[in-house]
Amino acid sequence: MPPSAEPVLAAVDLHKTYGNRLLGRGGGVHAVAGVSLTLNAGETLGIVGESGCGKSTLARMLVGLERPDSGQVTFHGEPFASGRGAIPRGVRRRVQMVFQDPLTSLNPRMTVLDIVAEPLDVHNLATGRGARRARVGELLELVGLAPELMNRFPHEFSGGQRQRIGIARALATDPEVVVCDEPVSALDMSVQAQVVNLLADLQRTLGVALVFIAHDLAVVRHVSHRVGVMYLGRMAELGPAAEVYGAPAHPYTTALMSAAPIPRPQARHRERIMLAGDPPSPVNPPSGCRFRTRCHKAQDLCAERAPELTGPGAHLAACHFSVPAA
Amino acid sequence: MARPVEAEADGRAPAALEIRDLRVTFNTSTGSVPAVRGVDLVIRPGETLALLGESGSGKSVTARAIMGLHDRGNVEVEMEHATVGGRDLLAMSAEERRLLRGSAMTMVFQDALSALNPVLTVGDQIGELFRVHRGASRREARERALELLELVGIPAAKDRVRDYPHQFSGGMRQRILIAMAVALEPALLIADEPTTALDVTVQAQILRLIDRLRQELGTAVLLITHDLGVAAEVADRIAVMYAGRIVETSPVDDLYDRPAHPYTEALLAAIPDLERPSSELLAIPGTPPRPGAVGRGCAFAPRCSRSTAVCTERLPLLTPVPGHPGRTAACHHTEEVLHAAVS
Repeated sequence: MPPSAEPVLAAVDLHKTYGNRLLGRGGGVHAVAGVSLTLNAGETLGIVGESGCGKSTLARMLVGLERPDSGQVTFHGEPFASGRGAIPRGVRRRVQMVFQDPLTSLNPRMTVLDIVAEPLDVHNLATGRGARRARVGELLELVGLAPELMNRFPHEFSGGQRQRIGIARALATDPEVVVCDEPVSALDMSVQAQVVNLLADLQRTLGVALVFIAHDLAVVRHVSHRVGVMYLGRMAELGPAAEVYGAPAHPYTTALMSAAPIPRPQARHRERIMLAGDPPSPVNPPSGCRFRTRCHKAQDLCAERAPELTGPGAHLAACHFSVPAA
Repeated sequence: MARPVEAEADGRAPAALEIRDLRVTFNTSTGSVPAVRGVDLVIRPGETLALLGESGSGKSVTARAIMGLHDRGNVEVEMEHATVGGRDLLAMSAEERRLLRGSAMTMVFQDALSALNPVLTVGDQIGELFRVHRGASRREARERALELLELVGIPAAKDRVRDYPHQFSGGMRQRILIAMAVALEPALLIADEPTTALDVTVQAQILRLIDRLRQELGTAVLLITHDLGVAAEVADRIAVMYAGRIVETSPVDDLYDRPAHPYTEALLAAIPDLERPSSELLAIPGTPPRPGAVGRGCAFAPRCSRSTAVCTERLPLLTPVPGHPGRTAACHHTEEVLHAAVS
């Protein structure tokens, strides 16, 4: 199913700060500071960024596992995940998550049958033991596991197989959105491609919309229609994958891409932008543009005013001196 | 101390590292697990060799065996031959080998925070090397520590020499570890996944630093990595490990252009290339075998698209690839793999 322009999930100006701001010294960690995005039906939105950029916090807010301090997430235009009330069952069922570490996200005392069937039980989607088993078998087949394995426990599987179980569980309720937080980074490189291909296939056949969060730029490019690049809690750049990778508009995106190792020795002597130092601490982020302390384009303006995420068409960048799209 | 062996017959300086037939076996309550099953390695002075493999392939166990860090009773380490900078490790006493660690061969670990002593200032930790190995005075040691912090690019080194490890960022800690590793100008530096815990922009800085020091000091580097991209960036030669054995060795360019082993070939097809996106990744079926759970044939045969009857019957030995000097491969179908890369 080709991605349509109808938004399923939208986030508006999300903020999240961790830590006790009353008693803590120097304030909390500003994990996410004003992120807005939309996810269209059937598309894959990739989110890349380094550790501490807030991509996992964003993921947890998108599925309602974490409440934003301000801003809201809407599902088909209906807000949820703000305020205090419980998240409506109907939304929970339609927005699911796949976690990074398949071993810690699967209960070691439950069989695969019970793990995959748990969402079915919670949402009353399978009546009777026969129907429950049949549905779990179907889901396991969908992710490339033999249904006979359903009575085994998570430790009896390899890392790649466990991630397949996690994906089957996420798909059990027929979700419209699956948020994947680093779904392949705990896997061996010879197994990563299996899971990446599986997710791509599932999207094509089921038409589910994916948010794919990872730090590996090449993997994100491979799976995504659109890509967002995060830096210190903000979206630095957001746009169609081919444009963001082909003609990056934000200096951070350019630097990130030139730092990524390329598995071709001939690429060794390419021109590279080396960033100095480490990303600053999210406890005390720089004023204005958060990237300015490491940016080769930074001027006085960047310290004074935070740049808005704007741009021509669908390709947006948050930089006062962004490269205009050709 | 063991006497340095004379320069080799061909007039070249002795290899920075030469290991023949390394075997490491873990004896557990459920039986013995052969983690490394006959590994040969030769690294020339000033050369970077990347030992590439997935988790459980035995690459880190190999590195620790060379350093002599498997000191628990349940680990058996056997080697036919082992020299570092021409000095025979097997002829040395335990005490002589201990003195070699930290001076002639050093190691940089993945997790810099747990590799540094949290209650010593970084200046004292680096200085300790000079005090223990060189008998330097407190003051000399502090001066040398400062020089090294500057060498590895710690900003405002003078003010930071009295700081503790937790006051530094991950990338800076890794720089400190590297400073300690090159302090006594070792013949061999073993870097075990030195950038795996780091962000990609910091990883690029650290890889560049290791490479600069290798050039300036002439140190040989054994880089342990699982990342084909990292290996392509810095290695001169690559040794690919699978299930406790080396399956292919090659100069870096040849390996990526024309892999000689089906495992290398499959890996290269399974990873996305940032600059050359393709529509489909060719996934390798199955999973790597657990150490110890391999039959008598080729360990990769169950996952290999080229395997035939002979592969499950007979173990392929690591032999020179005909027509490709400097390359070895352990496969019954090497010719076929090389041809596939050309066509």
